[in-house]
Amino acid sequence: MEPREETKIGVYICHCGTNIAGTVDVEAVAEFAKTLPAVTVAREYTYMCSDPGQDLIRQDIKELGLNRIVVASCSPLMHERTYRRVCQESGLNPYLFEMANIREHCSWVTEDKEKATEKAKALVSAAVRRVYYQEPLETKEVPVNPNTLVVGAGIAGIQAALEIADSKHKVYLVEREPSVGGHMIQLDKTFPTLDCSACILTPKMSLVGAHPYIELMSYSEVEEISGYVGNFKAKIKKKARYVDVDKCTGCGECSSVCPVEVPNEFDLGLGMRKAIYRPFPQAVPNVFAIDKRGYPPCRVACPAGVNAQGYVALISQGKFKEALEVLRRTMPFAGVCGRVCTHPCEAECERGKVDEPVSIRSLKRFMADYEMKVGREKATPIERTKEDKIAILGSGPAGIGCAYDLIREGYPVTIFETAPKAGGLLRYGIPEYRLPQKVLDNEISYVEELGVEIKTKSPVQKFEDIFNQGYQAIFLATGAGVSQKMGIPGEDAKGVIHALDFLKKTSLGAKVALGEKVAVIGGGNAAIDAARVAKRLGVKEVSIVYRRSRAEMPAASEEVDEAEREGVKLHILAAPVKVLAKGEKVTGIQCIKMELGEPDASGRRRPEPIEGSEFDMSVDSVIMAIGQSVDKSALPKELEYTNWGTVVVDPATLQTNIEGVFAGGDVVSGPADVIAAVAAGKEAAISIDRYLRGVDLKEDRPAPLEKVKDVSKEGVESKARQAMPTLDAKKRAGFAEVELGFDEKAAIAEAKRCLNCGVCSECLECVKACQVGAIDQDMVEKTEEVEVGNIIVATGYDAFDPTPLYQYGYGRLDNVLSALEFERMINASGPTAGEVFLKDGSHPKTVGIIHCVGSRDEKYHEYCSQVCCMYSMKLGHMIREHVPGSQIYEFYIDLRCVGKGFEEFYNRVLEEGTIFIRGRPAEITDIAESPEEEGKLIVIGEDTLIGRQRRVPVDMVVLSTALEPKADAESVARLFSLSRSADGFFLEKHPKLDPVATMSDGIFVVGCCQSPKDIPQTVAQASAAAARALAMISAGSIEIEAATAVVDEELCSGCKTCSDLCPFHAISFDEEKQVSSINETLCKGCGVCVAACPSGAITGKHFTSEEIMAEIEGALV
Amino acid sequence: MTQTMVKSPGTEMAFIDEVCSIPGGEAVRSCIQCGMCTGSCPTANKWDYPPRKAIAMVRAGLRNELLSSNSMWFCVSCYSCTVRCPRDIKPADIMHALEIISIRSGLSTKRSRTPIMYQCFVDSARNYGRVYELGMMIKLFMRTNPFSALKLAPVGLGLFLHKRMPLKPSRIKGIAELKAILDKARALGGAK
Repeated sequence: MEPREETKIGVYICHCGTNIAGTVDVEAVAEFAKTLPAVTVAREYTYMCSDPGQDLIRQDIKELGLNRIVVASCSPLMHERTYRRVCQESGLNPYLFEMANIREHCSWVTEDKEKATEKAKALVSAAVRRVYYQEPLETKEVPVNPNTLVVGAGIAGIQAALEIADSKHKVYLVEREPSVGGHMIQLDKTFPTLDCSACILTPKMSLVGAHPYIELMSYSEVEEISGYVGNFKAKIKKKARYVDVDKCTGCGECSSVCPVEVPNEFDLGLGMRKAIYRPFPQAVPNVFAIDKRGYPPCRVACPAGVNAQGYVALISQGKFKEALEVLRRTMPFAGVCGRVCTHPCEAECERGKVDEPVSIRSLKRFMADYEMKVGREKATPIERTKEDKIAILGSGPAGIGCAYDLIREGYPVTIFETAPKAGGLLRYGIPEYRLPQKVLDNEISYVEELGVEIKTKSPVQKFEDIFNQGYQAIFLATGAGVSQKMGIPGEDAKGVIHALDFLKKTSLGAKVALGEKVAVIGGGNAAIDAARVAKRLGVKEVSIVYRRSRAEMPAASEEVDEAEREGVKLHILAAPVKVLAKGEKVTGIQCIKMELGEPDASGRRRPEPIEGSEFDMSVDSVIMAIGQSVDKSALPKELEYTNWGTVVVDPATLQTNIEGVFAGGDVVSGPADVIAAVAAGKEAAISIDRYLRGVDLKEDRPAPLEKVKDVSKEGVESKARQAMPTLDAKKRAGFAEVELGFDEKAAIAEAKRCLNCGVCSECLECVKACQVGAIDQDMVEKTEEVEVGNIIVATGYDAFDPTPLYQYGYGRLDNVLSALEFERMINASGPTAGEVFLKDGSHPKTVGIIHCVGSRDEKYHEYCSQVCCMYSMKLGHMIREHVPGSQIYEFYIDLRCVGKGFEEFYNRVLEEGTIFIRGRPAEITDIAESPEEEGKLIVIGEDTLIGRQRRVPVDMVVLSTALEPKADAESVARLFSLSRSADGFFLEKHPKLDPVATMSDGIFVVGCCQSPKDIPQTVAQASAAAARALAMISAGSIEIEAATAVVDEELCSGCKTCSDLCPFHAISFDEEKQVSSINETLCKGCGVCVAACPSGAITGKHFTSEEIMAEIEGALV
Repeated sequence: MTQTMVKSPGTEMAFIDEVCSIPGGEAVRSCIQCGMCTGSCPTANKWDYPPRKAIAMVRAGLRNELLSSNSMWFCVSCYSCTVRCPRDIKPADIMHALEIISIRSGLSTKRSRTPIMYQCFVDSARNYGRVYELGMMIKLFMRTNPFSALKLAPVGLGLFLHKRMPLKPSRIKGIAELKAILDKARALGGAK
């Protein structure tokens, strides 16, 4: 420290009453200060912040010509502004002032007077040395944006928004829910005046909806805040509501046709709402929203993406025709897939986690059966909008699935089929008793009626022939229709027939002579089908020979069961080694017994022969069903094949090695199931459409559907699936269908088991019902940026969930309700229209209301929630009103009726006859100890006013739950740079003197997000915050901290380290000079860049190295 | 103190209604249990259940226990509680209401002479139109403990010497009318 004659420092030590002087020897500190270099005067005084204290400084500046000031007192947060102002008023630059904190940092943290005095001296010395180097700085003024952002539209947000908007300043009011109103609109009446909550709130709600100065952004959330006081930028995410706010008239037609019902959150699940809904009739904006949670697991699991939830939901409402329409938006095979699909959807069904999956397949079949029963209208042909002709080879599920999608795109489509009738394996591979031909015929004709041309008996040898006929693209879907051979001796003998040939011949009506005994080799669906068909043809003894155990059989297990029921014998763990024949005629087979070894590549245990265990079976014919493969001989040579003999395609686009030729279904995958083939056909249709339109085949292909995350199973009662009626086994001689299908009643009951995982089922009934075309199922969320000068955070509270208080039985015992649930029940516009009901439908005669649930309990919330005493008594009063003659017990610890008219309300409730029992109940039980307690809830606890334990039997218990910080309070705090107090609520700047401001300038907190409070207090706070914001708006400009950072352009190397780190985006790069430059308005002086600059080119004004080094030195001397 | 579990389904309302039906007892619902009455009561330390607690017991339906206790009989009608009660509910009157119910129910305690003294007092007034002290006291001691009269003998002698305690009763005029009035009042009060 260089002696500088012109520097004259004044040091002022504050007693702060006894706050400082009680611990620190202030006189000794003042004496010490006088000895410090450049100090002209040092004084101590009782309250430096008071007027006489300030005058001391003013006077000394004037009379002694002081040009640097140090005040040792409290925290700068408290009074730095005060003293800077004193300096400024006396003509001294406010930045030539320094504050030493000898209260919070010294006297308040020790009782040791000696040490406190010593530390105070060190702090004063540090401040004196620092202030010596401080330089005058000029503050800047920036304009304040007159717009305000209000976050949360409960009563707090509504009030604040209206106050500001009424002064003709723009307000953006952001609300997360579809409607404004918050918790207050859920309440029936408000204490202590008992005026109806809706009556006093709805006028304000409609006002914010219509106010010319309020832009209401409902169903929206603030995502990002940047900028600084007076000049914030907010990014607001407008969630997709799937309903156009401007078009929707709120008529409710959509909701009445919606088939999906879920518990209404607004009614705490006491009532139901539809997937397209508005939370309550008086909602503002009076607009519906669709609740889409994601795609249901059934739909995601289906290879073809069939919207199962959609048609199941409509079936549950008896809308069978509409349900079938939903299925036909994806594929035409309701009857086919309703019978033979492997239903991967059911394996994923969330209902399966409760009891059993919904019988989705049977419901699908039901829709088809129903249509066939009532008669199908002929389908309207689809208009050809496109020129390019498409050829599809093969009329199995892949071919038809592809044709179905392409014809609906407007393409002319022709299917070429070798066989005499269309359907592929559906017709020739699946026996009549499982899939009646008329069902298949009906669905194929439907596709034909749409305009698909099917040319049967038309084998195609060469692709060129097709292209030469003017077709632009080919989809190859000829399947895998050739039986594999086993390679055992005698396999070619007469009397050995392959399963597919056998099934095809039978379905064409040809007679196949099998004799009296038949052995079927294999364990797949074809083997079972063949065995059951053989049985139906009158064969006495049908045996299935399979080399592994029954558990390994690839056939559907219910099919195996049915086969056994029909008398088919199973020979498991046996493999044929040779076909025995006499001349050309089969006489039997020789088999060898097997045992299971180690699992093979497929994960199934590999069967191994047991040596010497050969045995003979005497049979008249053998049906081989050991697998199918692609018939390469019938396909053009130029195609590329895999080692397995299937066609090679690009897995994403299904394109083959030949331009314009796509392939899918069994011809690519080898033998697989129907729905996989349909899916392949649909995928090919996408590729072909893209190919013909000249769009890239891969880019932006529809992504796989994303499964909904959490599906609530709360309160779902176990209910088994509807049993499928089957044909009596004795009557199964012919080919009559075995499964009989659901009737309407069973179908509806089964469909009602659906949990509606995705909520909206996308059945599109609402789209049909909406007369103004307001529904947009493809709406996406949008982000909007707004500029505001002030932000008012009014995000409210959550009601405490009393489930963890096991002893109170919430969620475990019937008729134990939370207060908010009860509010909805007793609300005239609630789900019961204000009637108070017990679970059994009767009215309660006695009700116990338990105060302080989750409050005043260190296991949950230490604080008092402030409103529970009053709302509990209000509820007690209302029950007596709604259920005349009912008896109310209030169990309380203390009654805190601290508000205008509150005590009077308590007296009123007392005199009405409500019994107050002082003591926190210990438990609620339904175990009766006397006849009077039978069937009641018994509240057990101490009545501390008589000093006894009591058992009070009641019909219903209401738990007066605490108000707690919102579950996402932490992320909201981070978003708005707010602090939270120990109780988790947002921290105000000062609990008494600045209760609505926060440590972030320009951001205010009001209502229950700051602490639990009642409506009058909330409204008062909201008005206060509005006044604060308006004060800033009317001042028009705001002073910005002068302690910013500056770049020394000479030293800056242009590395840009600083600009990437700056949290306020205040640093930009000057391309011309190749140096960083700092925008002083945006800079908050945080110092990140100062510390980060590798070349030391950035200095924080008011925090120069010189100043800091001097301060450290001062503290250590 | 006994700590038996209180099981009182619904009976608390019956007892509250009973107390409310006696003039002076109707305010029992309004009590806020502040304890001002007990704090002000000069005899509270003698009571089985001091006044605040007695009211709490009415509201908890502990009828037999309270009515057979010595509590209300220790009320000396000084009315300190009544003067100070912040809810203006006249606790002393509630105690008198409890005394009435206690006597009617035959539950009044033997541990206090007050119930019998009240009866002797009323009987004397009914018979003579005014209290005949000597007769009343003799009756009281005979019905309670005759030997305890010895303790009061000096007082009695003093009263006698100052001609404050006549040996013979004097009857007012129109005693029949008074009796009729008293009987009517009893009937109106619900007594048998």
